[in-house]
Amino acid sequence: MENYLIAMAVSAGIYALMALGVNVIWGLAGMVNLGLVGFFAVGAYVSALLTLKLGLPIAVGMASGAVLTAAVGVAVALVTVRLRGDYLAIVTLGFAETIRIVASNTLWLTNGTDGISGIAGPYRGSLSPAAFNLTYLAIVTAIVAVTFVLAERLRASPFGRVLRAIRDDEQVAAIAGKHVALFKVKAFAIGAAALGLAGALYAHYTSYIAPDIFVPLLTLYIKLALLAGGLGNNRGAIVGAFAVVFLLESTRFVIPLVPGVSAVQGAALRELLIATALIVMLRYRPRGLIPERLPRIPVPPSTPPSVPPAAAASTKNYQPTA
Amino acid sequence: MTNQRIALSRRGFVKRVGALAVAGLAPAVVRGQGTPMQLGVLTPLTGAGGFDGPRMLKAMQGVIDEVNAAGGLLGRKVELVVEDDQTNPESAVRAARKLIDVTKVPAIMGTWASAVTTAVAPLCWESRTFLTTVSGADSITKLPHQGYLIRTQPNNYLQAAKHAEFIAALGVKRCFMMSIQAPFSQPTQERATEVLKQKGSEMVGTLIYDKDKTTYRSEVDQALKTQPDLIYLNGYAPDVTILLRDLYRAGYTGTRFSQSYAVTSKVLESLPFEVTEGVITVQPSADVTSPAYELARKRLGIAEPDSYETQATDWASLVSLAIARAKAATGTGIHDNVRKISQGSGTKVYSAVEGLKLLSQGKEINYEGASGPCDFTDIGDILDCKFRYNKVSGGKFVLLKVA
Repeated sequence: MENYLIAMAVSAGIYALMALGVNVIWGLAGMVNLGLVGFFAVGAYVSALLTLKLGLPIAVGMASGAVLTAAVGVAVALVTVRLRGDYLAIVTLGFAETIRIVASNTLWLTNGTDGISGIAGPYRGSLSPAAFNLTYLAIVTAIVAVTFVLAERLRASPFGRVLRAIRDDEQVAAIAGKHVALFKVKAFAIGAAALGLAGALYAHYTSYIAPDIFVPLLTLYIKLALLAGGLGNNRGAIVGAFAVVFLLESTRFVIPLVPGVSAVQGAALRELLIATALIVMLRYRPRGLIPERLPRIPVPPSTPPSVPPAAAASTKNYQPTA
Repeated sequence: MTNQRIALSRRGFVKRVGALAVAGLAPAVVRGQGTPMQLGVLTPLTGAGGFDGPRMLKAMQGVIDEVNAAGGLLGRKVELVVEDDQTNPESAVRAARKLIDVTKVPAIMGTWASAVTTAVAPLCWESRTFLTTVSGADSITKLPHQGYLIRTQPNNYLQAAKHAEFIAALGVKRCFMMSIQAPFSQPTQERATEVLKQKGSEMVGTLIYDKDKTTYRSEVDQALKTQPDLIYLNGYAPDVTILLRDLYRAGYTGTRFSQSYAVTSKVLESLPFEVTEGVITVQPSADVTSPAYELARKRLGIAEPDSYETQATDWASLVSLAIARAKAATGTGIHDNVRKISQGSGTKVYSAVEGLKLLSQGKEINYEGASGPCDFTDIGDILDCKFRYNKVSGGKFVLLKVA
């Protein structure tokens, strides 16, 4: 049982890392990225291939996975810089499918649909499976913790503020003198790096990757995690990731207890429950378990009110028409 | 808006979800202490394999019900613990973790997709859990699984040899092979060429084509230049449909041979009769002449159980018999005994119950399955299996033979 719980915690940690990455792109900058599993795949393949074919250390493989995925993120961001909302979503979805199909067909490199097996894990050979699990949990926890701290710093920084401004109104941000496209590209790169790192962590944990892993199902789990936790909020991303894994796994134990439900019906019921959870969540807590709280920006006390109260009130009610 | 009245607080929400989960977990722990012997089933109940998984599960359950009716295994009732692999390696790994670490099953039966099997296999061999599968990719049995995996599905190597033997037996002197770009293409071509030569026939040429082309005229011309008596079309339905049409247009009158998943009844509907007339299709088949097959038919109440249903029948039987012989419900016990009850000079038996009776009398047995003889190589591949050959006539499949 402990081994199972540890393994699920590792899964949840990897989900959390992905959710943190997507939070930068979607939660802060407001760019709907349905191709996150594509970035996850790039990181996984890069790290797996570098360690397996060139014999590089795992840490170097993971770092390269993150860096290269960030580069891919820049490329995707440059291509899609003029797209917003649904259009961006469709293109990124297409990007993820492209990665999957390329991985299926580039036999000489990725071994096609057979996938790459025997990917090294840190100290896997010299540890018992249980000890390896525990070691990996420590590694994942450390990486998630560091990423969380960095993401929090980013959120509170002027950079994070600009991203939120872009999310809320691109034109206003542009008028305020911000180079919107550049910020978007940077946000994409940062988010993609976290996704790539998560992919590399996944590859070295399970020792096997194949195109079939990188299907939209995983994208949906992460979206669900972020929505459940609270979009735009790093604590929410982590809580949400754990909540999703908890939901996925606890249904395994609950459904067999429902009388008169066969295994086949149970499997369908499980999917139904997950879908229902998403709908209920969006209906009753649309801002997630931990709604986004904007960082307080201190106003220097010495600043005199520049406009009389009456004028300030009218400014508040002013609605931009654009 | 009435939102406020029904909205849950964050704490309330967490509490309720938590309570639900705890309620679910508690009895699961209690159940683990019960007496039934639990065997794992990890099969696709949703996703791309959602058509085959439930049928395989039913076949396994059928065997286990019979074993239970005959007194169970090692004096305990047997219970199948079923998890859905969602035809997805990531989900499958989580499900396998649960079966291995929580339910602590000695065996996991039923993985279908090759990627799922390859993802789950390392967990199984590391924890000494026995895995049985239908996945076809050649690479699976080459994994360092230390004997903790068997596959009842013929691999490409065996398939290619069997197909080549059949082609040679048709009296074909000159064979040409056109294959789609896929992991299995090259190895299949090489093995078929080898066997054809041994059987006095000849592979006069091979080519590998790209998928998703609207015409294969140049490939067809290349093939026809070698004047083959038979062309083996080793692809999938969309491209084989076009190839059949182009071969007809080019006036080819020799035999065309293909896998049944490439020439389906849908393909026959989409092409004129004269284009598909005489095409021979092949698929791995259950051993329809075996008494075990007859038993599976009765047990399942199906006129013709297919390859997957019969393979599932055989897993449940093999695992039950190996546990009985090992006198222990452990993965290592199954690992050490599975070949001792499935091959060798023991008395031939065709069902788990029959085998259990003989084992209890201290006799050695040789299980002959519904899917085939169930004899395994060192790496867990089957040594032999039957194939079903159909010929297309008037837009319909007519059985040629099962051999």
